[in-house]
Amino acid sequence: MLSFIARNSIQKVITLFFVSVISFLVIYLAPGEPSQVDPLNPKFTPEMVERFRQQFHLDQPLYVQYAFFYGDLFTGKTVSWKDNQPVLKKVWERFKNSLWLFVVGTLLTWTLSFPIGIRSAIFRGGMYDRSATFFSYLLISIPGFFFAYVLIILVVTTLHVPVIDMETFGLGDPPWYRWIMDRVWHLLLPSLLGATGGIAVLSRYVRSQMMEVESQDYVRTARAKGVPEEQVHYKHALRNALLPFVTMFGLILPGLIGGSVIIESIFAWPGMGRMAYEAILARDYPIVLTVNFISAVLVLIGTFISDVLYMVVDPRIRL
Amino acid sequence: MTIRKILILVPIFIIVFLLQSYFWVPTYEQQSRGNPGRLNEYITASIGDASLLNPILSADSASSEINHLVYEGLIDYNEDLRFRGRLARSWKIYEEAFFYVNEQASIPSIGRAGAEEIVELLRKANPGTRPFDPQMKASLENIEEITLLPAREFVITRQEKEGTGSGQTKEITIRVNAPARIRLVLKEVDQFLFQSLSKILGEDYFSTFKGEKYVRITPEVEPSRKMQYIQEVLPSTEHNPIIVFQLRPDVTFHDGHPFDAHDVKFTYDAIMNPKNLSPRLSDYEPVKEVTVVDPHTVRIVYKRLYSPALGTWVMGMLPEHLLNEEVLQKEAIQSGKDPEKFSMRQSRFNRHPIGCGPFVFKEWKSDQYILLDRYAQYWEGPPHYSRYFYRIIPDPLTQEMEFYAGTVDAYAVRPHQVERLKEDPTYQSFSGLSFGYSYIGYNMRREPFNDPRVRRALGMAMDVDQIIQYVLFGQGERITGPFVQQTDYYNKHIKPLPYDPQGALKLLEEAGWRRNQEGWLEKNGKRFQFTLITNSGNELRKAILTVAQDAWKQMGIDVRTDLLEWAVFIQERVNKLDFDALILGWSMGIEPDLYQLWHSSQTHPYQLNFVGFKNEAADDLIIKIRQEYDHEQQVAYCHQLHEIIAKEQPYTFLYVGKWTAVLDKRIVVKETDTEGKVIYKKITPTKTGNYMFYFNRWIKLPEAPVFSPEG
Amino acid sequence: MKAYSENYFQKTGMERPLAPRETRWREGWRLLKRNRLAFAGLVIFILFFLIALAGLFLTSGTKPVFDPAVVRLEEKLRPPLSNAKLEILSSDRVPRLGLYLFGTDELGRDVFSRMLQGAWVSLTVGFVAVGIAVLIGILLGGISGYYGQNAMRADQIFLGAVLLLSGGLVLMGITFFGVVLLCVGGVLLVFFQWVKKRASKGVETAWTRFLWMRAISIDTLIMRFVDIMLCFPSFFLILTVVALLPASIYNIMIVIGLTSWMGTTRFVRAEFLSLRDQDFVTAARALGVSNWRIIFRHMIPNAIAPVLVSATISIATAILTEAGLSFLGLGVPPPHATWGNILSDGKNFIFDAPWLTFIPGVAILIVVLSFNLFGEGLRDILNPRLRERS
Repeated sequence: MLSFIARNSIQKVITLFFVSVISFLVIYLAPGEPSQVDPLNPKFTPEMVERFRQQFHLDQPLYVQYAFFYGDLFTGKTVSWKDNQPVLKKVWERFKNSLWLFVVGTLLTWTLSFPIGIRSAIFRGGMYDRSATFFSYLLISIPGFFFAYVLIILVVTTLHVPVIDMETFGLGDPPWYRWIMDRVWHLLLPSLLGATGGIAVLSRYVRSQMMEVESQDYVRTARAKGVPEEQVHYKHALRNALLPFVTMFGLILPGLIGGSVIIESIFAWPGMGRMAYEAILARDYPIVLTVNFISAVLVLIGTFISDVLYMVVDPRIRL
Repeated sequence: MTIRKILILVPIFIIVFLLQSYFWVPTYEQQSRGNPGRLNEYITASIGDASLLNPILSADSASSEINHLVYEGLIDYNEDLRFRGRLARSWKIYEEAFFYVNEQASIPSIGRAGAEEIVELLRKANPGTRPFDPQMKASLENIEEITLLPAREFVITRQEKEGTGSGQTKEITIRVNAPARIRLVLKEVDQFLFQSLSKILGEDYFSTFKGEKYVRITPEVEPSRKMQYIQEVLPSTEHNPIIVFQLRPDVTFHDGHPFDAHDVKFTYDAIMNPKNLSPRLSDYEPVKEVTVVDPHTVRIVYKRLYSPALGTWVMGMLPEHLLNEEVLQKEAIQSGKDPEKFSMRQSRFNRHPIGCGPFVFKEWKSDQYILLDRYAQYWEGPPHYSRYFYRIIPDPLTQEMEFYAGTVDAYAVRPHQVERLKEDPTYQSFSGLSFGYSYIGYNMRREPFNDPRVRRALGMAMDVDQIIQYVLFGQGERITGPFVQQTDYYNKHIKPLPYDPQGALKLLEEAGWRRNQEGWLEKNGKRFQFTLITNSGNELRKAILTVAQDAWKQMGIDVRTDLLEWAVFIQERVNKLDFDALILGWSMGIEPDLYQLWHSSQTHPYQLNFVGFKNEAADDLIIKIRQEYDHEQQVAYCHQLHEIIAKEQPYTFLYVGKWTAVLDKRIVVKETDTEGKVIYKKITPTKTGNYMFYFNRWIKLPEAPVFSPEG
Repeated sequence: MKAYSENYFQKTGMERPLAPRETRWREGWRLLKRNRLAFAGLVIFILFFLIALAGLFLTSGTKPVFDPAVVRLEEKLRPPLSNAKLEILSSDRVPRLGLYLFGTDELGRDVFSRMLQGAWVSLTVGFVAVGIAVLIGILLGGISGYYGQNAMRADQIFLGAVLLLSGGLVLMGITFFGVVLLCVGGVLLVFFQWVKKRASKGVETAWTRFLWMRAISIDTLIMRFVDIMLCFPSFFLILTVVALLPASIYNIMIVIGLTSWMGTTRFVRAEFLSLRDQDFVTAARALGVSNWRIIFRHMIPNAIAPVLVSATISIATAILTEAGLSFLGLGVPPPHATWGNILSDGKNFIFDAPWLTFIPGVAILIVVLSFNLFGEGLRDILNPRLRERS
């Protein structure tokens, strides 16, 4: 076990190094310059641009820039080119905002997928199963932003309440419960939208997993023994079907950053995805690279956790 | 079975909990009822976040919007876009002019003369006794004082980069043995002074002054460099315009510290400090020195004639006591940074600004909002609104949704949204022209755009009015030249190009382009073919691109189009002058200085006259405009320049966009008349279209008031 | 085998098996028809393909039947099924049929023509992107699965590292060292060949043993590379690259392709690993069939079906990704119309002209849905374990 962990971590560190090199190269070798060095702003003279480049080390050879960047990152000194804010502080602020979306979205995904998927598996081939299949594919197939707009417009024009941003502006100083409820309301739509894809995929997965397990001999045996149907489903089958999902807990971690760019842009949610997106557009390399690095770390931690969980849960696997 | 129940009940509980939160959120109507304080809050929305809340460091529009509220400049523009005093109560502009005595030159009627003789000559020069010359007369009458500065010696040292690339510098010593100099104090700035004087002192009196005789440079430098140094340290003539600002006495910063002349000088020094990397450096480069005469008087001396100089003092003033070297060093040490490298750019001040504008900075959540509070001690009386929210909502459609939901009071409405909102009785809307224009620029270095007829024909082939009507939904106005349309610099007598495809074809035929069998225009067997490019991400430009391509195609011109990402567009195409034609826009300052955009010296790669416009008459006018301090005279030059550019058509000038603002009808102007009675007035834009001009007097009422018809 | 069984039945006089004997395809077809959702998916899929193909022919050329580029500003934002105002349009600008089937957009362009044109472009984006991903996936997965146990020798790794480093240095602008290293790499290449030649004559020393040490297996190398690629959040990576590169339809296809091959690689590798040990492969190898022939004749045909299934779904994802990029303003640039950019352009006018949003939105929805359902149906069919009970 320990040797596995040690070996695994070394491997991950090496992977991380290559990730850092590749992402660095991708960004620095792309054409174009950071917008701080905007050459079409009449206020910037060529000398100024030169000085900016010097300050950002852009005039140095690439490997020096690489060393500068990651050196700064690990000592916590990296600052955003846009506003000179420490990158880690910025990322942490946004991370907190994204976390809420992520938590509620994950909660919705995981709590809804199981009942839907299990029911589908139990009544497979039936009307319910088929419509569940259809609807889950429908949810995967809608272009996210299209769905978001339709929902927003529907809610605002019928209910006349704000849905954008993290809170209702102009509330003054409401009592705490109202403040919380207001925030919850603003969480509802974006997290629901973020969860749709997840619900669809996961419920399909639950369904197939349940079906797989239900065809196993021990379930048949249980059924043959005359165990009540319900108990067969929820005790014998479900427990064993849950096994692979335990390992998936590790893999949801990277979702914190990944797919939220569009939702966060539409809902003006000050989260990680939007920050990263805006940083890309402004070519604020420190932010882009940091977010990239952090997400790589999250992926690696996620797979690590899932590997370990797998070992813990499934006695057959001993790496 | 419990597992089953849990599996079903938990999600239901979560969903119900999420949904019930709806009942706690106020609708549009409930908002001000539930929270009367909402009426004292103004919430506006913007697409982008600010970057640095420091007027000398930021160059983006979001930052300057906030800076404008938090900081106050010495002056600003009034309803007619002329200057009015803010922190400066008043100002005076005059000039000191200098010239070196040229002992070699022979003066008509006297011959060679020494310094005293020349002073004498000038003192006696009575405009009446000379043959009548109005310009000379004016110049002479303008002279207030003539003094003689004796000859002196001085030494200047300069650092010069050794060779190219290597970081080493060498020190250059310049010894100057300056001859006597004559100083003239003028009542007003006079760019023609030396021209007039040369009529007395002889045509070549100034031009034959040989600086190199008085200068010794060690070590030797190459001749051209040497001439530059001589020009710099010993110019034959020199104009030094001077502005003296009288500052308002009892203005304080938001932290209670009084504002005085030292802050003005500090702001200037901060801009000039190379460590700060201020993007405004070039604006202040012509300043020679800023001196504090007394705590409420600043004197600014310029190196040369540069009339846009006054406009630069619109910029907000920084508090010296919070940003001086000592404070910054302390902050650097506190935050564990290298004090050597630490500059104002890194200071936390930029995120917690303090100025003396009408609003006090309170809070800034990146990409979410910036919150400002009313400044009760504002010198002009505090604004009516007690809070100002600047929200960042990146999507224009959701901005609109927030507006409907009542959590945004104003946002930049898109043209097509205006149509819809204009009809709505709950809103009022204003529109006005913006300070920028869109154009199609042609690379005049390339065939066939070097022919003005072709450029004119291309312009005539496009129905710009139709673009304005349909693409802009009427939210724009045609423009014929490079000046801001609301100012009087803009020559209103110039007619825009007519939409006349037939005439355009005729013009092209004159230029040698004829239709071939397939219908394409051809000249010497070569098809009229070029690529029109613009940057991606701008809907309007994209639309114009499509419309222009279509219009020109009908003429028989084979137009390709390309949309490029902004950075690539600028770096690879515009800067390297690698384009045929492009669609772009300029957002203009009010000052009529066109040097960077239109002067022939600015046509090299990486410069802004990328279309390559070269015209001697225009160059002359551009220089004259930036040297002229008299408004009327400047206007006259601008009209001439406008005419030349309209004739040459280096751009097809398209339109100035109109901005439109939509506000709740309940937002009004609140005023107290002389008897202390409160009266409400409808918000009306100023003549130049600025509806925010009286923003400090705005307030939101619980009910929309009814105004008397003449309101 | 077949011949044998025929003979066998005849000789033994046994009755033929009762179950109808079907080819794999026919069986698949029968199962597909039973799965109504998947069948509907297939129908729409084919329909979409035909429309896209028709769109290509009807909207291109100098005088296309449906011209998506004609701008009629006077006719902007006309609702679907409205008739063109013939009196204000010159004859060559009148839309086909004199009617705007899907209405017009903010510039008065015919949305129907644009949708037709976009269908082909969207389809191409999907297919090419996934094609790239599948090709890379099969290649790397195949190498990894088939040759995986072969190890890279220390000398090969060393040589590779030198060459890569020199290439990198040249790219980074340190030309001098780069070129020097490149030369060193060339010399090494010759040197290693020479050592090998000498060694083959039987001269083996500790030094050559070290050089030929089996350092790392190809499989590990490729799988580590897959791990590295999986560390990037895919949409974010696509976004970064697309935003930094000049916008063009090719870049988008390539970038989507280059960032989505990892799944296929893993899949093909697993498939190859299991196929390698199957009897028919062992038999083929025993017969002396060349590696290439084994791979192409025996293994790929057996591994390809599930790959194609996941490719079907990937195409759907690619179309959605393109739409997402369009929304962020980084999608396929004009003059190419794609459903994604029609949709994202139209969303600004969602109140004034809802059809500009809903027509492409619903179209994307239907097509992506059909791809997904069809792909899922195929997967069910190919998975015998699920099939028997469905």
